[in-house]
Amino acid sequence: MFLVGILSWWYGDGWKQRFLMIKDRLSHTSDYFSISILIKTLFSPYRQISAGNVSGPIGVQIRAAIDRLISRVVGMFVRLFVIIAGVLSICLQAAIGAVVLLGWMFVPAMPIIGLMIFAIGWVPLWR
Amino acid sequence: MALGIFQYNSYRAEKARINVGLTKLIVTLLLASTIILLLAGVAFLIIGEAIGWALVGLSAVPAMIVEWKNGELSNLLPQKGSVSIDGLLEADILGILPHKPTPYDVATAVGRVYGGQFFAARFGIGIGFLQELASKEAGDLDSLWQEAVKLQQQTDSKVVTAGMLAVAIIKSHIDHEALLAHLQLGVDDLIKGVKWQQHIDELIASSKNPKKTGGIGRDWSFGWIPTLSRFGQNISQQVSASGLLAVKLESHQDALDRLIAILGSKGKGSAALVGPDGVGKTTIVYALADKLLHADSDLPDSLKFRQIFILDASSLISAAPGRGELEALVTRILGEAYTAKNIIICLDNAQLFFEEGIGSVDLSNVLLPIVEAGRLRIIFAMDEQRYLKISQRNAQLANALNRISVAAPTRDETIAVMQDQLIITEFRQSVTYMYQAIQESYRLSERYIHDLAMPGRAVKLLESAAGYAENGLVTAVSVQQAIEKTQDIKVSIASGAEDRDKLLNLESLIHERMINQSRAVTVVSDALRRARAGVRNQNRPIGTFLFLGPTGVGKTELAKALASVYFGGEDRIIRLDMNEYVSNHDVDRLIADGADDSGSLTARVMKQPFSVILLDEIEKAHPNVLMTFLQLLDEGVLRDVKNREVSFRDAIVIATSNAGADRIREHIERGIDIEKFESQFVDELISSNQFRPEFLNRFDEIVMFRPLDKSELLQVVDLILKDVNKTLSLQKVSVVVSQEAKEYLVEQGYDPKLGARPMRRVVQRAVENTVAKKVLSGEVEAGGVVEISLDQVSAIITAKQQADAIAAGDN
Repeated sequence: MFLVGILSWWYGDGWKQRFLMIKDRLSHTSDYFSISILIKTLFSPYRQISAGNVSGPIGVQIRAAIDRLISRVVGMFVRLFVIIAGVLSICLQAAIGAVVLLGWMFVPAMPIIGLMIFAIGWVPLWR
Repeated sequence: MALGIFQYNSYRAEKARINVGLTKLIVTLLLASTIILLLAGVAFLIIGEAIGWALVGLSAVPAMIVEWKNGELSNLLPQKGSVSIDGLLEADILGILPHKPTPYDVATAVGRVYGGQFFAARFGIGIGFLQELASKEAGDLDSLWQEAVKLQQQTDSKVVTAGMLAVAIIKSHIDHEALLAHLQLGVDDLIKGVKWQQHIDELIASSKNPKKTGGIGRDWSFGWIPTLSRFGQNISQQVSASGLLAVKLESHQDALDRLIAILGSKGKGSAALVGPDGVGKTTIVYALADKLLHADSDLPDSLKFRQIFILDASSLISAAPGRGELEALVTRILGEAYTAKNIIICLDNAQLFFEEGIGSVDLSNVLLPIVEAGRLRIIFAMDEQRYLKISQRNAQLANALNRISVAAPTRDETIAVMQDQLIITEFRQSVTYMYQAIQESYRLSERYIHDLAMPGRAVKLLESAAGYAENGLVTAVSVQQAIEKTQDIKVSIASGAEDRDKLLNLESLIHERMINQSRAVTVVSDALRRARAGVRNQNRPIGTFLFLGPTGVGKTELAKALASVYFGGEDRIIRLDMNEYVSNHDVDRLIADGADDSGSLTARVMKQPFSVILLDEIEKAHPNVLMTFLQLLDEGVLRDVKNREVSFRDAIVIATSNAGADRIREHIERGIDIEKFESQFVDELISSNQFRPEFLNRFDEIVMFRPLDKSELLQVVDLILKDVNKTLSLQKVSVVVSQEAKEYLVEQGYDPKLGARPMRRVVQRAVENTVAKKVLSGEVEAGGVVEISLDQVSAIITAKQQADAIAAGDN
């Protein structure tokens, strides 16, 4: 019963749970790096600096427009940097997740594999 | 097979037993062995030993068991389409049931698991109680399972929990209702307990769910808010840091939905949350803050990730004391909030921003244009009265606001709020609340706490009861003690020996202060005994009595004696001379707000609900004043001018009247027993239009006081002399008056019209004057006894009479 129970869970709900866990982690990482928000607001003025309409002579308005542009450009670079960092983190996490999911399949076989290699007597050469 | 069958060897039952077997210690050992095997294996491989492979491989075995335990066994799901009870039983209980259980075994198992311990702590239903009730016949198990499954379906639960089994065991006992009554519980309460435990489990599960709150770049497209951060309280930040522990109340959900609709609209998106203090206006704002922070919630985009700041009027005023400074500061703060684009301002106690007078602020001129333009979302929270006041003074502002009325939650909702709140209180105060304490908090706060609405007042009482916990357990008695100490009343059933003795001997205690009038003394004593034994009608005053009779027979004295003996002092009398309430507008004085008139009846009873209310000379009151008393006498409540319900349910109401005194005296002189004359006399009072029948019918008892005869008046003299001796005890002097002198005093002190009332004056004049002279002349020293004879008394009284006659002749 014990062996059947553990193995049927391992290759059934256990594997599914592991998959959902990895999915949740990816989603959490995506939220942490605010990727969807940053994409939506990529060109917004950073921290609303110089944002808003300015009335006055044309010179003042041009200067305000330039300030606004700078704020947007700064914002775009900061956001892009974070988006890229976030995407890289997600990719890395996804890769680790895939390895874990794949490795999960072989864990129950580890004692047998270990004993077999031990019986063969092979050891890696470190030099 | 039916759900009444228990299969010990089912697959799920086996798993449950494995789970129980994998104790914390074993899991820790398994984890340790995984690490040791893995490290040892790697070490062997490094030194070139092939056994390392075997150790690394074997390390997977304990690791897998731990994973299995955490992934499946500790949260064993119910078996879909199960045809036997083992497919539905909660895993922890399923794992410890024996092969062929009896209800007794089930009771034992229930007491050992979390769900059973929850019932033991919250309801006082422990393992011993359940074992006492449970049968030891295996044949009785079938009906037990059936009952538990019924409860599972009734509570929409996925599994049959230990709590449900506890309820099923109790219900299986024939006298369960009587047994539960001892614990002040009913079966419905136990079912609520099952739901309460379910709710706690859900809260724990939801707290484990990952929350999406926008991440590090969430606020980058919004502006800086340095001034707002300094003067405002960011409740979104608080909610995000500590989480929000609140039930979704039906009565609040409507208000929350409307608030979201108003704030998310494109028009004048400001709202006024209007409701009494304590009803949960701030809680709604917190719930909104929590909702806005969740990226996956169903919200308009314009509201997502908005942060709510509460502005505090007093801190703003103290920061900007100069003329015009406050307006400038508020303008700057609101300007920042507007520029930031993700801020919602909440003005809690919003009326503070619109007050006139010294030390107050009126920011209508600053706020009105902002609200009207709809550029900044603002939530105003205030009570109904204040909202109406602002509407009166500044109709434009009121028109610009979208009013949302916050209704008080229902009883069940309030209980649910209390259950959630106590999780925090229990953690902070290291106490455990029993279910009965929650119920009692609701009942007593509804009755005695007037300055807050539900659920605020119930929660407040519940929190204060923590200070009266015994061995860390907050019971109904703790709540009673809390309200007794804070409100200075008695709500608990008399249990102390001293209290019980006092109640049983109330008549003799009262008679130490007054002579005869036995029937009157008995009826008030009976009323108090009924109240303190818990058998009276809780929705009326303790007792309502009308005392009829001539002046000076002890009507007022009985009220005083009662206040002194039982209510804790003569200052426990709330006395109203009804000849001061003779006009129609005196009704307003009766129910005036305590802030305007601290002497109004409602204000005094609010302050001191446990008292004797003496309505002296009731016949002189205006008919409308008497009409006002009808509800008081009938239901024990009176509404004050602010429409607050003031409870008179812990008071004894005594009305006195001289109406028909001559008739009483006449009957007594004719030797008629006045008790037989009572109903005829009441009819006469009605037919002579002195009282309306509906007024007289409201009293529990109408008692007639008869004039005192000479022998009783002699006893009154003794009582007065006792008082005189009490006063003189400070000087260590005592007085003894001869029998002849006493009789003389009775003759001189008794007036057919005024009864025994002049007696005290006459005795005091005769006795105290004599003593004063003797003390001053040195005839009596400390420890001495002053003996007063008839001659001395008559000399003083004759001299006084002569002086009075001369004074009358001069006039």
